[in-house]
Amino acid sequence: MKLNVGGGGASLYFEVMSKVSDSSPGGPRLPSSAASPSTPAQRKDVVRAEKLQAGYSGNPVCGVVSFSVHSHQSLALVGPNGAGKSTVVKTVVGQLEPLSGTTLINGAEVDDRTLDFRREVAVVFDDDAFFPALTVEEHLAIVSAGHGVEDVEDVIAAELEFFGLSEQAKSRPYNLSSGQRRRMLLASAFVRPRSLLVLDEPEQRLDTAMRHKLATRLRAEVDAGLALLVVTHDPDFLTTVATKALFVADTIHVMTPQRAAAAIASENPYAE
Amino acid sequence: MSIQTRERFSAREIRQYTFRAGLSRTQGGLMELISEVYTSILGGLTLLAMAGALIVALRHSLGVGTESALAVTAVAPGFHSVALLQASATVLLALAAALLSVEMTMGPVAMTLPQTAWWLGLPVRRRGFIQPGFLKSLLWPTIAAILVVVPLALGMADHPAAGNIALAALCGVGLAWLLHGVAGWCQITNSGAWLKTVMGAVTLVAPLTLVATALYNNVAGSGAVTATQTAWMEYLPTSWPLLVADGARWPLLLVALALGLLTLVYVNLERITTAQLKASAAAGAYAASSLLSMDATELSRSLSTGPAVGRSKLRLPMVFKKGSATSRSVKTLLSTHATMALRSPSTLLRVLVLAAVPASLAAVEFLGNAILIAVVLFLCAYFAATALGATARFAAGNPAVDALMPLPAKVVRRVHYVLPAVAMTIWAAVCLGLLLALGVGSPALLILAIFAGPGLGAATLRAAFRPAPDWNMPAVASPTGPIPTGAIRSFLSGPDLTLIVLLPVLICLISGGVPAVAFPAQLTLSYLAFLWGTHVRKPKSAKDGGLFGTPAATAAAK
Repeated sequence: MKLNVGGGGASLYFEVMSKVSDSSPGGPRLPSSAASPSTPAQRKDVVRAEKLQAGYSGNPVCGVVSFSVHSHQSLALVGPNGAGKSTVVKTVVGQLEPLSGTTLINGAEVDDRTLDFRREVAVVFDDDAFFPALTVEEHLAIVSAGHGVEDVEDVIAAELEFFGLSEQAKSRPYNLSSGQRRRMLLASAFVRPRSLLVLDEPEQRLDTAMRHKLATRLRAEVDAGLALLVVTHDPDFLTTVATKALFVADTIHVMTPQRAAAAIASENPYAE
Repeated sequence: MSIQTRERFSAREIRQYTFRAGLSRTQGGLMELISEVYTSILGGLTLLAMAGALIVALRHSLGVGTESALAVTAVAPGFHSVALLQASATVLLALAAALLSVEMTMGPVAMTLPQTAWWLGLPVRRRGFIQPGFLKSLLWPTIAAILVVVPLALGMADHPAAGNIALAALCGVGLAWLLHGVAGWCQITNSGAWLKTVMGAVTLVAPLTLVATALYNNVAGSGAVTATQTAWMEYLPTSWPLLVADGARWPLLLVALALGLLTLVYVNLERITTAQLKASAAAGAYAASSLLSMDATELSRSLSTGPAVGRSKLRLPMVFKKGSATSRSVKTLLSTHATMALRSPSTLLRVLVLAAVPASLAAVEFLGNAILIAVVLFLCAYFAATALGATARFAAGNPAVDALMPLPAKVVRRVHYVLPAVAMTIWAAVCLGLLLALGVGSPALLILAIFAGPGLGAATLRAAFRPAPDWNMPAVASPTGPIPTGAIRSFLSGPDLTLIVLLPVLICLISGGVPAVAFPAQLTLSYLAFLWGTHVRKPKSAKDGGLFGTPAATAAAK
């Protein structure tokens, strides 16, 4: 397969050579949506955080938290600004050192240096870092090809269509609006396989229609087997996507998505 | 949607793809780059040539002597200097400390922010992404070591044979690699924060010790510090390359030690965490933007401690009740600028250290060359001027901030000018005062420099409000990848005005006298610089009636 990624007469071709397939045991991994629809009792935790304390320079930003997320499950972290939701999530995926406690992903200690971690976990934070000279589709091609996706062009075209970026495929990131750049970042998580998806306020800078479309899709993927960890401030997004919720503050409250939506509205974890 | 996977690309293929895809849509290339550099630098060289001719004419009319200005010393007879050995040892120690500090901040193994964001999450061997950065990073300490050691060894060796100089350079490179290896190991093990703090302090204090010693020697008479008393400094490890230049061979052990450490770092490259690489990338991006703004303070901060955290709680009044609405707004702005400046005492300290650097050069035996001091004076003046432009740069990056007050844009720009103008006037007085104390210049030159101070404040604004490189225009291909159009021109906005304003001072410093005509010339230049630096450009978008078609401040004034 060839992916035409150049502009004008200087087309570049990213050739997939016939190599020996995946070196990981068991050969190529099944896509997330094809994960076995096991019963709840059989499902293993994808994420397990035990007495996790997140913070900076020895200073905790919120209470100690323990939770688990398995496939077919979506955990939403909610709470007021500055409560420590993003810090907890960054700690869970190994971008910050925990002050105490442990996190296991697929039974192994979190280490984003391992191939398994990067193969399984898709993370989208609000990083506004792009290659200024590369187009939208070229950014996505890096992710897609780097994960060994077959039919890179088709996958990227489908995601560009879903995120409403087809017309911007050949635009460079700094010619896009901030909302379009956000869509591009989100698309990067969908052009690759994943068994755990971690999103930090995905609804930010998206219009209402796109929020709804994204929420519906995420829920469908969770139902198909994806494990999702999401930070959100949007009650509608929360109730559509989440199967359970944590209200993050000085103390941590586990609650249903519906109650969490009420808690968001009132910034009070005890609100009904 | 189901995604099927087969085989993955290697890190090398992904690197090549990213690089080639970026270059595929650049227009122009090396010739355009050379043309841009040529156009920008030609003006500066013409100015310098004219200044050179003026210096020769002035020296002739002042009857200073027939000696070439290139060889003349600016230090008056009877002033004591610091021994060359102490100076070279101090400089080498400071440079080594600076190198280690910079290495530890920048990585030393570094990637760019987009690379960390788009590459490191891919399930391919990370070594393929990290290793090229490590190998490239070896180039900078190597070049730095050669550039420093070779001239020093040539100047200080008793018998500068080619073989000895080459071995001294090798020893210097070994030392630089050793420091690189130390920084690399600290990055791998996520340790060594204390070492960075110590190195930062050494870098800052070292130049001051030279000035302090020289000032002490001038008043101590027979108690002055002698070369014999400071001979031990020759044996500091950072001075070992100079021992090799004199024939010693044992310091070359440094090279073996460095290679061993670098091998250890190379083998462990994949242990560097993503968080570490992202932190290095952020530091690199910060340093690059500081370099583009040519702000020495921002640059030194970016290379040492990282962005300012603003711990100071100093408060000045922001609300004024007396006077007209305009005067109250002006007072509020002035107070805001003063608060921001005073909340960064380290910036003011760095500006003060910059004022002492030309004097530290004059303090060193045989280095009191007028042209050398003039060049360093120009550089320090520019770095000090830009260091005082943090508020202006913030406003340039956030135009809405300047539109908050009901004032015309021109008035707001002139308020931005006040603080740098006052500070640079004081800076010029301190800098030339220290030089005078060490026997360089005259009271007349000091007054001339004080007249130049307000003009230097204008250079602060020109640098701060320079147009940003335009990524929307077709980029220019360069060996390191695409660079935006106008990058070089943008880089030189600021140094140009500093040079123009300082010309009378520099010419008189090199000439050795201050003719009466220099004073009105300096005052005129400072006034013209004020007009230039405080000129408000019409925003590009105004031409097509964009968001800023009618600047809020202007609209409010109508």
